[in-house]
Amino acid sequence: MTSRQFLLVVALAQGVLLVALIILIILNRWFRLRRSVKLRPRRVELDDVMRRWALGQATAVEVSHALARLPVPLAIEGLVTWSARVAGERWQELARTLEHQWWARVVRTNSRSARWWKRLESAHFLSVVGTPHDLGHLLRLLRDAHPAVQLAAVTSLERHGSPMLVAAVLDQLPSVGGTAQAYYASVLKRARPAVVRHLLQLFRRLDDPRLPRIIEFAGRLEEPALRASFTTLATHPDPEVRTQVARALGKFPHPESASALGLLAEDAVWSVRAQAIRSLGMIADPTTLPVVRDALRDEEWWVRLRAGLALTRFGGPGRNALLNAEVGAHAGARDMARLIVGLSPQALAEYAA
Amino acid sequence: MSSVIHVSDLVILVYFLVLNSFYALLLVLSVPEIWEQTRLAEDEDFQRLMQSDALPPISVLVPAHNESATIEASVTAMLTLEYRHFEVIVVNDGSKDDTLERLRHAFDLYEVPATYPATIATKPLRAIYRSRTRTRLLVLDKENGGKADSLNAAINASRFPLIIAVDADTLIEPDALLRLTRPFLLGRQIAAVGGTVRVANGCTVKDGRVVDARVPGRFLPGVQVVEYLRAFLFGRLGWNRLGGSLIISGAFGLFRKEYIHGIGGYRTSSVVEDLDLVVRLHRYLRARKVRYEIPFIPDPVAWTEVPESGRVLGRQRERWQRGLVAAMWQYKGMLFNPRYGRVGLLAMPFFTFGEMLAPLVEVLGYVITVGGFLLGVVNTSFALLFVVVAWAYGMLLSLWAVALEEVSFRRYRRFGDLARLLVYATLENFGYRQRTVWWRLKAFVTVFTYRHVWGEMTRKGFEAPGSRAVGGARV
Repeated sequence: MTSRQFLLVVALAQGVLLVALIILIILNRWFRLRRSVKLRPRRVELDDVMRRWALGQATAVEVSHALARLPVPLAIEGLVTWSARVAGERWQELARTLEHQWWARVVRTNSRSARWWKRLESAHFLSVVGTPHDLGHLLRLLRDAHPAVQLAAVTSLERHGSPMLVAAVLDQLPSVGGTAQAYYASVLKRARPAVVRHLLQLFRRLDDPRLPRIIEFAGRLEEPALRASFTTLATHPDPEVRTQVARALGKFPHPESASALGLLAEDAVWSVRAQAIRSLGMIADPTTLPVVRDALRDEEWWVRLRAGLALTRFGGPGRNALLNAEVGAHAGARDMARLIVGLSPQALAEYAA
Repeated sequence: MSSVIHVSDLVILVYFLVLNSFYALLLVLSVPEIWEQTRLAEDEDFQRLMQSDALPPISVLVPAHNESATIEASVTAMLTLEYRHFEVIVVNDGSKDDTLERLRHAFDLYEVPATYPATIATKPLRAIYRSRTRTRLLVLDKENGGKADSLNAAINASRFPLIIAVDADTLIEPDALLRLTRPFLLGRQIAAVGGTVRVANGCTVKDGRVVDARVPGRFLPGVQVVEYLRAFLFGRLGWNRLGGSLIISGAFGLFRKEYIHGIGGYRTSSVVEDLDLVVRLHRYLRARKVRYEIPFIPDPVAWTEVPESGRVLGRQRERWQRGLVAAMWQYKGMLFNPRYGRVGLLAMPFFTFGEMLAPLVEVLGYVITVGGFLLGVVNTSFALLFVVVAWAYGMLLSLWAVALEEVSFRRYRRFGDLARLLVYATLENFGYRQRTVWWRLKAFVTVFTYRHVWGEMTRKGFEAPGSRAVGGARV
């Protein structure tokens, strides 16, 4: 074949591809339009049946029929949307009805699918209408290789407080990224009793490298039963553990918390000091005012900022401390006091968040 | 003479084959990538995310220079983004108009002392303001130092671990910040993440939001819609799979602040600060053996106005090319350097030989063909066939980008808009492409003579006719 013949073949192939691509683009648009016109009445019907069911004017069987008339992804989308609006008991009734639907059985089986988007669909479905029989599916989905599937499966904790699920999620919690961790934590909060029991066990493993992340999560629960464990961990050798302890203790206004925070406010690591001062501000115990006032002269800017913000929470004495610092000899404290005194209440709240 | 032409022909042919094979690779890789991204984008339950306190706080940095006409609307739109925890830092970079006065009046600003540590050196700050009505807003007034300098000043003042640089005239979709944080939620080691920039010309804009996406009827802005689609939906998605994206658009990119601090912020002497920043970020992270990703995700969208006149567009394209040449020259040590992994072995060579040198090679091709005709040493039918194949390939890539848009996000709902896209994708190679080659070629001459501060360009404005000075979102 000569180079000219080769180019001719390429040109012809390109011509065919170009025409095919244009036809495909137009056909795709036409097909999608037709599909959406066809499906719109069924979606409206589902919303209507759901609304009547939520008001007790339709049965769960009618809802399941309306769901069966939709393609599976749309049915799951409808379930996820409505799950937030319908009370728990009624929703359980629907979950039980759906257990025997053929399409729901297929979605359940998809938890083993090789395709991640099928597993994602399954996780979404089970997170809203899973029953105790689905525990095995959910545990598998929680350990899925795709993080989106894991996240969707974690959401199931909002409806299933199973200790096994809680333990599985808590075990996984320290190994996921910071943002995912915060999301896990927000879901785990809803299964509080099982979570607290498991956490108390985890706190005993002092050399566990996952300890800082577990404490960070535990702090978010604001559970009084955990306070004593936090206080004990204030002398832990790992500064990351101490930082998380300092952060968590701010949520427990208790003399023991204030005393542990006073110790942490003199830590060698600035991030621990900053968190401790912030937490002292949250507790605002008048006996700790001198510690916070001294922190306004810390060598680290962040600690001074936290001290300035914390002083605003001590009322009159705190404000006086700031005004004194504003005309004081320490340049860093003076600048910070000027900044804090000049902020509007809204800005202070925004800063402190 | 004829042997010179034959050798040059061979070089151009090999260049054409290698480059287009690489484009074909990007094209193939973009398919699974858009499939995954579309699935994830459709799946997200944003209400649930909004209610959780999981999402990391973000500082939105908005450099502004002579933006008096639009600053109030664009800052208001940014302050009403759907995100739980964010701040907006507007930097008035020595504007000669009443940008600051407008901000002061609109948001009831009051001065606060500057006490935060300025970790990156910038031009002096004149004042810092907070708002009595919008606590999320911080306004810095500083001496003129350019966009990069303004961004550095905003970084110094920012409080949050993630920063996003947004042009003051860019319209961000309300859920764009939420969508941009998806890779963080999926637990990936993200250094930066880029979203899609789309063309706002011709769209209906209300209260700083694009409410009806249209493809412009005029050729010049219309053909840029196809260009943007090609650059974002096919080019960058393909690069996602290759792991070496070099561009996060300066108009819309989210960065981890600790790494930006690590590289010393934006370089004020660079022509296009976004490309320069990402190349330095790669260099910094690779040198420290940090595991990281710089992905592009297509569903967070920001809308920008593109030039409508050839003169303004020419200046913009020349500036982009100038920035590319300057960056590739500056970081030539990374080229084919295995120490930088895929960035050194794939991305840098592609951007140097495939992007930077492309206009030179294309013009060389045209010159040799014409010269060959005149000397009678080039086979006419072969040369014409070659040109047809080259142009058809360009059309194929543009149509592929339109196809990706159609199977994924379908922002342009009307059949008329789709028809326009197809027409522009087909006609782009006849005249428009050659003009851009000429503009880019000029950059090789001007690269060592220009001084860059703000990319001055006159534009029409979103909602009302007028003119503004903006840098332009790089494709």
